[in-house]
Amino acid sequence: MSKSKPKARPAAGDAVRAKKQEKLSFLARMEYKKMIMYPLAVFVIALILLAVNFPTLGIDLRGGVVVTAYGVNANPDELGRYISDKIGMEVRVEKFTGVEASGVRVYAPIGTDPLKIIEVMKEKYPNAEYTHSEVQPTFGEIAQQQGIRALVFAFLAMAVVVFLFFRNLVPSLTIIFSALSDMTIAVALMGIFGIELTTATIAALLMLIGYTVDSNILLTTKLLRRKEDSVEKAYLSAVSTGFTMSTTTLGALLILWIISTSQTIDNIAIVLIFGLLADFMNTWILNAGVLEWYLARGGKA
Amino acid sequence: MKRRTKKLLLNWRIILLTLFLVGSIATLALKPLTFGIDISGGVALVAQTEHPVDTKTMQLVVDSLQKRLNTLGLRDITVEAQGDQIVLIKVANVTSPEEAERIKNVIESQGVFYMEFSGVIFGTGNDVEYVGIYQIKPDNSWSVPFRISKSAAEKFAELAYGKKGWPVDMFLDPPVNSLMVVPESVYKAMNSSEFNAEAPEAPTLMERIAKAFNISVVAYANQSADEIAKLAQGKEKIVLVDVPQELQTQLEEMNLTVRYVPRAQGESDHALIVRVLGLYGPYSLGEGLTVGEPQQDVQITGSAPDRLTAEQEASTIYTVLKSGSLPVKLTVVGMEFISPRLGEGFRTQAVYAGIGALITVLLIVYFHYRNWKIAIPVASTSLFEAIIILGFAALIRWNLDLPSIAGIIAAIGTGVDQQIVITDELLGGEKTTKISRRSSVLKRMGRAFFVIFASAATTIAAMSFLLVYFVGTLKGFAFTTILGVLIGILITRPAYAEIAKYLLGED
Repeated sequence: MSKSKPKARPAAGDAVRAKKQEKLSFLARMEYKKMIMYPLAVFVIALILLAVNFPTLGIDLRGGVVVTAYGVNANPDELGRYISDKIGMEVRVEKFTGVEASGVRVYAPIGTDPLKIIEVMKEKYPNAEYTHSEVQPTFGEIAQQQGIRALVFAFLAMAVVVFLFFRNLVPSLTIIFSALSDMTIAVALMGIFGIELTTATIAALLMLIGYTVDSNILLTTKLLRRKEDSVEKAYLSAVSTGFTMSTTTLGALLILWIISTSQTIDNIAIVLIFGLLADFMNTWILNAGVLEWYLARGGKA
Repeated sequence: MKRRTKKLLLNWRIILLTLFLVGSIATLALKPLTFGIDISGGVALVAQTEHPVDTKTMQLVVDSLQKRLNTLGLRDITVEAQGDQIVLIKVANVTSPEEAERIKNVIESQGVFYMEFSGVIFGTGNDVEYVGIYQIKPDNSWSVPFRISKSAAEKFAELAYGKKGWPVDMFLDPPVNSLMVVPESVYKAMNSSEFNAEAPEAPTLMERIAKAFNISVVAYANQSADEIAKLAQGKEKIVLVDVPQELQTQLEEMNLTVRYVPRAQGESDHALIVRVLGLYGPYSLGEGLTVGEPQQDVQITGSAPDRLTAEQEASTIYTVLKSGSLPVKLTVVGMEFISPRLGEGFRTQAVYAGIGALITVLLIVYFHYRNWKIAIPVASTSLFEAIIILGFAALIRWNLDLPSIAGIIAAIGTGVDQQIVITDELLGGEKTTKISRRSSVLKRMGRAFFVIFASAATTIAAMSFLLVYFVGTLKGFAFTTILGVLIGILITRPAYAEIAKYLLGED
């Protein structure tokens, strides 16, 4: 391990990587107290946001009727008033756009006949494509319970596996906390951006458990197992890998979000984007801060 | 170089990947993918049983629903039980919202059917084995022949021995285990021999339903909500029949289950009772059935003032017998209709989104490494992974729905991440000498695969709960995620590591 040797490896890539590591080195120079404090503050803010502005439940968790019409271009408020007048029930209309098609979603309370809404809309937009769904509150309740159960169990399972892999209390707990914080921040952002909590977004939150743990495991492995480098070097190498990972995933998700008009896919994509953004902070600042502190204290806590 | 290439191509990991890839493409060519309702169009219904049931009962529910929908002439039906209370019904090729609504009504109108004699239930819908075509005679009397199970016939023969003219009742969805609050006149009618067919000595209707269904009846005499609640203790629900409606809200405020049945305009006490109880009959027992001999082939007869009414009565009984074969009442608690045209749109979108995401990954990876030798293998490994997942899905005829597609995306997302971990570990060993390089590569690969296995294990652990535990639409999501992760760690990731080592000159 003394001298570096030129290798049959593209030099351009190395240069880019070196530059990237340099750009990110400000992170390595941060004081670990701050690295722990800031993300914790964000986590607390997210909790407060959740307390005052929890995302609304989608109809599949709450019960209700929704009629989706594709190929309708209308002012949602006007259309809403029009339908409400005609069927004598208060409805809410939302507009959505995609690459190929755009349309509206009409939300109505449970007990409304979706066929009636379609009938009224067909008078105005005979060529639109209609779909509808309705969910009874009782099933919404079951779905809610199961969603919570799925999240809790998935989270616990993840925690157990992380413990088994690292067999080390502080690093494991940090990974677990950082996954929790990712999910909390993602849900808080859902509240802010008006994204409903549905079975699809629950799926996305579950997906986050898998996604976000990846980068944390990478960081922890590099810092704890990579003994040949200094902590800072190991950290920078992890950060650079992690940034590549997250930007590719974010890019793919963004494309997915732009192209799809399916609400399911759209919502899954956006929630994952939220979570991955939160994960940038939680992995590379919080988790790194805790690990640096932990290593500085000689790996014992 | 040639030797290296040959070595790479003969590496078992590469061979494995190639085999799976070829196998998947062949499978996809032979067995086209099947798509879920949310992509191919159709209606998906979620029905819930009145109370949790055991597996055997659930199977009966599934079987009878399947049979019933089949007789409607619908094709491409799947009925699937989930847990102890949920049945998922999917019907493909439904083209209009109206048709979707009709299917929903059919499922909801399936009732629980009971045959009762002298306060004893001797058969349910499951005991109806066959229903014949009803007949109407010129004197406007009608008959519906049907066959009951052997056990029901034996039970009945024993019960009915020597009880000529006694009433046989049939019920469709009676308010089991409830307290009924009825007006004085209705109470009197139920407590008289009005419903006793030709046997005034038989127990009254009130006695029969109390014994058979645990329904108690009280006459309304301005009792307060509190008093009624006290009477209803231990009952599942309260049925308020033609009494002041304020009681309903008051009782509901006490967290009680209440059903309110108002009297229709001009409805007689008799008609009201029949409607509330879901009563068909009573039918008087013919002599032939009272001699103690079990008879499976029986018929219900009746007579009507005119042919039209006779026709209506007979066809009602016919339908009730034919459809009332569910062991437990089902309510449709959720439905979703997707028009086939729209589904097609989703499918093309999924393909575009997939290709778009792949190109994005390619470009971003290139941007990070400025090296096509990395970007192309990363992107193509993801493509291979997708192909293998799809091939597997086609092989086992997994219905690809939107959550399943989301799962594939998730698996590919983590796949790209892990390939980057491998690449960076390979590129990261700057300070190694030639001698220590080989062992160092092994060490670094070991570290990369530690990360990969740890994250794969967490994902699988998290998702397997979803797969076995969860009811609803997220199963597909869990399934494809796990499948993708498994294919990733077992097939594509090891192969990618070999390719990367080869391309980056590290083997």
